[in-house]
Amino acid sequence: MISDITLGQFFPGYSTLHKLDPRTKLILSVAFIVAVFFANSPVSFLGLLIGVLVLVKLSRISFSVVFKGIKPIIIILIFTALINVFLTDGAGEPLVDFWIIEIYTEGIVRAVFMALRVIILIIGTSILLTYTTSPIALTDGIESLLSPLKKIGVPVHTFAMMMSIALRFIPTLVEETEKIMNAQKSRGADFTSGGLIKRARALIPILIPLFVSSFKRAEELATAMECRCYRGDKNRTKLVKLEYKSRDYIWFCAVALFVTAIILLATLPYSIGYSGRLLEIIFYKI
Amino acid sequence: MNEILRLEEVSFIYSKGTPFEKVALNKVSLSFEKGKITGLIGHTGSGKSTLVNLLNGLYKPTEGRVYLDGVDIWENPKEISKVRYRVGLVMQYPEYQLFDESVREDIAFAPKNLGLTEGETAERVAEAAHFAGLSEELLEKSPFELSGGQKRRAAIAGIMAMRPEVLVLDEPAAGLDPRGRREILGGLRQYAEAVGASVILVSHSMEDMAHYCDNVIVMNRGEVYLSGEVGEIFSRSEELSRVSLDVPAISRIARELAKSGFELSGELYTVDGVYDAIIKYLGEDKR
Repeated sequence: MISDITLGQFFPGYSTLHKLDPRTKLILSVAFIVAVFFANSPVSFLGLLIGVLVLVKLSRISFSVVFKGIKPIIIILIFTALINVFLTDGAGEPLVDFWIIEIYTEGIVRAVFMALRVIILIIGTSILLTYTTSPIALTDGIESLLSPLKKIGVPVHTFAMMMSIALRFIPTLVEETEKIMNAQKSRGADFTSGGLIKRARALIPILIPLFVSSFKRAEELATAMECRCYRGDKNRTKLVKLEYKSRDYIWFCAVALFVTAIILLATLPYSIGYSGRLLEIIFYKI
Repeated sequence: MNEILRLEEVSFIYSKGTPFEKVALNKVSLSFEKGKITGLIGHTGSGKSTLVNLLNGLYKPTEGRVYLDGVDIWENPKEISKVRYRVGLVMQYPEYQLFDESVREDIAFAPKNLGLTEGETAERVAEAAHFAGLSEELLEKSPFELSGGQKRRAAIAGIMAMRPEVLVLDEPAAGLDPRGRREILGGLRQYAEAVGASVILVSHSMEDMAHYCDNVIVMNRGEVYLSGEVGEIFSRSEELSRVSLDVPAISRIARELAKSGFELSGELYTVDGVYDAIIKYLGEDKR
C-alpha cells in the first residue's frame, strides 16, 4: 500500500536526536552528506554504515520503519546499479564476456558503492532530519540558518513556510490518493492490468480529484492563515526560541571527528601507496 | 432464503505483526437480507468503517469469510473486482471521486468499466439519476459546478449505476442539511425495492436509523453488540446507553410519557409512530 511510504514523515519521540537543535541537525546533515561523497573504499563505507546504524539506534526508531522508507527507491537503485555494472569499462580482463555484454570488476564495485551511497544518504538524512525533527522545528532551523540572506532581500521566511507546508502535506496527500483509489476501485476502475497507455489513462480518475482537492485545500489553508492575521515574518515572535545547548556542541564535535575519520579512511589507502612518491615529488620540487 | 451477504467469524487486524498492530474487528458474524435496509451504528473506532471495507473486498479479512450469495468472495482473489461490482460501496464524503466532464459521464464511469453497451449505460445512468434525485439539467453540468448536496447525490448515483445487489453507504448524509438528508436517504428505500438489493447504511444519527432502516446492527469495540429489528433495538435503551449510544429523542419522550402513566403502544421510535400512538391512546381514553 502507498501508505507504507515513510519517507518525509516525522515520528514523534524523546530520543537524543529528537532533542537536538534543528540547526545542529541541518549542519550535521550537510557534514554527513560530505562524508558520504568522500567515501570511496570498503573501509570508509563500513565506517559510514556503522555511523548510520548508531544514528538509527540513537533515534529509537525501529529498523523496519527505516527500511520501509527506502523501499520505494529500490527499483531505481537496482536499475542504476545495473547500468553501472554493464557500462563501466575496466582496465583488466572482463569477468563476463558474452556477446555484447562485458562486466568488469570495476563496474560491480562502482554499482555496489553507488547503491550503498544512496541508501546511506537517504537513511542518514531522514534519521537526522525528517524522522526526528517536526516540520515546524525544521522550518525554524532553516529560517534561522538562512536569515543572513534576508539582508540582501531574499524572502527566507516565505521559502521556509512554503517548505514546511509542502512537507506537512506529503502524508495527507498520500492518504488522500489512497482514498480516491479505493473509491474508484469501488466503481470498477482497474489500475493493474492492460498496457502502458491503458494504465496511464486509468490514472485520470485519480489525478483529477487529487488536483481539485489540493487546490481547494491550498485555498482553505491560505484563508485560514489570513483569518489568523498571518503576514509573513513581520513583527513575528517565536514561541520556542532556538538555543544551542551543551548537547549540540557535543554532537558537533562527535560528527566532526566522524567526518574527518571517514575522509581519512577514504584517502588513506592512496596515501600509504603514494606517500613515498608524493614525498619524492615534494623533495624534487624543493 | 433471502440472504445475500453473510459474514462468518470475520476478524481484521491492522498492521499485523508490527508494533502498530490493532484489532479492528473480532469474530464478527452477520447476515444481510435482500430488499431490506440495515443500519450500522457505533462509535468512532467501533469497527464500522473497517467492516464496510471488508464487504466489497477492499480489505481482506485476517480471519473468517465473507459470503456473497453463498460464495466466498476471496475464493478466487483475481476475481475480486467482480465482487466490487456486485457490492457497491459509497465511501464517506464520496464527492471527491467525481472527475469527469459532466455528471452524466461521471455516473457512466462504472457501467462503462463493467463493459456495458452504450444503450445499457444510458439506461443505467437515467435509472441511477432517478434514484439519487438528479434532474436532467444537472446531468449536463460539470460535477465541480454542483452544490455540496448535489455532488453527494451524483457520487451516490455513480455507484447505483452498477446496480449492485448490495449497496453500502458510509455516512451518506454527513454534513448535509435536513433537506439534503431526506432526499438522499429517501432514495435508498426506492432503490432497495426496485432492484431488490440489500442496502447497508452506516450512520451516527439514531433518528435516521429509526426512520429509514428495517434492521439495526450496533457495533462496539470491533464486535457486534446488538442486532435486530429497529423497534426491538430501540426498546433496549438501557443496553444502548451502556455503550453511550442514545435512542431517538422521540423514543425518550414516549418513555417519559409511559412513566407518567400514559400507556402508549405501536412504533415508538419515529415521530409519526408516536403521534399515531398518542392519537390512539387519547381516542381510547375518550371512550
